[in-house]
Amino acid sequence: MDILLQQILNGLSIASVITLIAVGVTLIFGLTGIINFAHGEFLMVGSIVTWLAVSNGIAFPLALILGVLAVALMGFVLERAIFRFTLERPTNGFIVSLGLIVVLQHVVILFWNANQKSIPRPLTTVWEIGGVRIASVRVMVILMTIAVVAMTYVMITRSRYGRALRASVEDRDTAALMGIPVRRYITGVFVLGSALAGLGGGLLIALFPITPFTGGTMVMKGFAVALIGGLGNLSGAVAAGLILGIVEGLSAGYGFSEWTDAYSFGLMILVLLFRPHGLFGGTSGPKMA
Amino acid sequence: MALCLGASGLPALAQDAGNTIKIGVVAAESGAFVSAGHTLPAGVGLAVKQINDAGGINVGGKNYKLEMVKRDDRTDIATAIAATQELVRDERVAAIFGSESHDFTLAMAKITQPAKVMHFAGNSTLGKVLTPEAVKGGGENHYLFQSEPQEFQRSGSTARGVLSLLEPLLGAKPKKSVVIAGNDATGQFLSSFYITALKAEGQDVPDIIFYPPETTDFSPFLTKAKSYDPDIIHFWYNGDSTLTALPQALELGAAKSYFMFGVDPGIWKERGLTADVPVAMSCVPICWGASSNPGSKPYFDAYFAAGAPHGVTSSVSLLYHDYVHFLAKAWEKAGSFDPDKTVDALMSMKYSGVVSDTLAFNETHQVTHATEVCAAAPGGDITCSMQQPPEKAPQ
Repeated sequence: MDILLQQILNGLSIASVITLIAVGVTLIFGLTGIINFAHGEFLMVGSIVTWLAVSNGIAFPLALILGVLAVALMGFVLERAIFRFTLERPTNGFIVSLGLIVVLQHVVILFWNANQKSIPRPLTTVWEIGGVRIASVRVMVILMTIAVVAMTYVMITRSRYGRALRASVEDRDTAALMGIPVRRYITGVFVLGSALAGLGGGLLIALFPITPFTGGTMVMKGFAVALIGGLGNLSGAVAAGLILGIVEGLSAGYGFSEWTDAYSFGLMILVLLFRPHGLFGGTSGPKMA
Repeated sequence: MALCLGASGLPALAQDAGNTIKIGVVAAESGAFVSAGHTLPAGVGLAVKQINDAGGINVGGKNYKLEMVKRDDRTDIATAIAATQELVRDERVAAIFGSESHDFTLAMAKITQPAKVMHFAGNSTLGKVLTPEAVKGGGENHYLFQSEPQEFQRSGSTARGVLSLLEPLLGAKPKKSVVIAGNDATGQFLSSFYITALKAEGQDVPDIIFYPPETTDFSPFLTKAKSYDPDIIHFWYNGDSTLTALPQALELGAAKSYFMFGVDPGIWKERGLTADVPVAMSCVPICWGASSNPGSKPYFDAYFAAGAPHGVTSSVSLLYHDYVHFLAKAWEKAGSFDPDKTVDALMSMKYSGVVSDTLAFNETHQVTHATEVCAAAPGGDITCSMQQPPEKAPQ
């Protein structure tokens, strides 16, 4: 029983980081139509900035904030300089994002080499309850994810800004005629999604060492979660993140461990076959007249 | 001209260009294998510099300098093949070092061997192509040399080192081992040798747990390993993955001790890693952070001073560095760059390198030497040893 509980707890912490990516992916695609496959590299850059800051003596909480701000700024620049010009042709944006993967990886390698980067654990306490070991750093990651996702959810569903955003998704042109600055909102969503990736990166390096190639794996799972939950559906991404985390934990422990990723993506394929808009329903991106 | 040379089967050597002999390196300086890949040009480049600084090599009464020509294979086999073709046909290198990947080496050898270019590869698994028939004069791999011990030797030497160092730290002979390995071609293939080696040393190995290659969260796999209550969890073979997994294993209290293949004690120290249980580490072939080998410190001082980063797999450079020196001595002994005479010279020599005082190739062009294992006690003290590998592969 303690092994089963341990596996469920294991699944929750990595599910948190994947959920942060998935929320970013689902927001950016669902609200702007941009399919950014370089989102994983945004996460990696968040990890690198956090690592650089901690390596230079900055405390982890401040380093984490710096990581978030740096990736948000990067998202702003890239949206204004590149993605903005691909909004009418999402395929172009998709191809651009593939190119960005290589560029971002190799810029990081150029300046900081390809070796693994890690930071000392910001929290080192481990509690043992009934044979189950609970690492405080994992609890921190889970709690921060819950808080940030809850704030994002409230902002999107309850605030005026969120209502305007959702109106833009329904019909960009009509929203613009109603006085909503659609282009500025798109930039805002892209920056918010990027910031979430930066946060995911900062939290990831608190848990595990990273390399310039870490983003690729994480973004695949982030997209899988976003698709399982329904693209554009925030609560769907959270629920799917939990499902995927627990499926991975249990499959590694009780199934063929080497097939862990196959279970996750197999689940995604099944969901998309039987519920093309995801378990909780999603959008097909913003509608343009 | 190059085509004519290739067609006639004559070696396309670079000494035609003057007093400089070109040595090619094909390695992953970008892409997934970059961690090990960048150590190849660093190790070869250091050896070339040392030889040139000492006046070059004297062959047939004439002095020659060496020049390294490196190509990034971008961890892509097609790029490695194209780079090898360019080095052989256009750059007319006298020898090629690389690649770090078994599969790439096999493809590269299809180009280097017909062109009679000396080829050194630090792979432990070339046995199937380095048969007595293939390496004899006129054989299809006569000019191919394996500069890493055979896998059963590396695994055997490593298993002996791990068990001998952990036993006193555990206070009892370890009996049960679980192996955790990456589920890729290399992990599957190499772990079979290591499990055989552990069983040959009397270990009960109830399970080998494979993880997907890009795994960062090892806790589900470690929790499964913990359910066996093992004395040792062996992380085999990817050093970067191992460093990711160990802190998670310590948090979970998954075993009484651990072994991390391919992690240098230098990384352990630099990262300030600690453990409340014994942790063994191994290097391919000797370590830079702590070592029982007196040649380690001067070599790695020079290696890092030349600008190479402190890496998990910096030691891999030694699978190439020593063999540049060895080859240079062989050319001097042969008094010629003729590849057949060079092979004869290599096979008749022993070379005193950093890794071993008695480096020599056996009848199938493979070297034999020990692999270094170090162990960190819970207090932080690190001890190292090099256990000789088994002479024959255990069944």
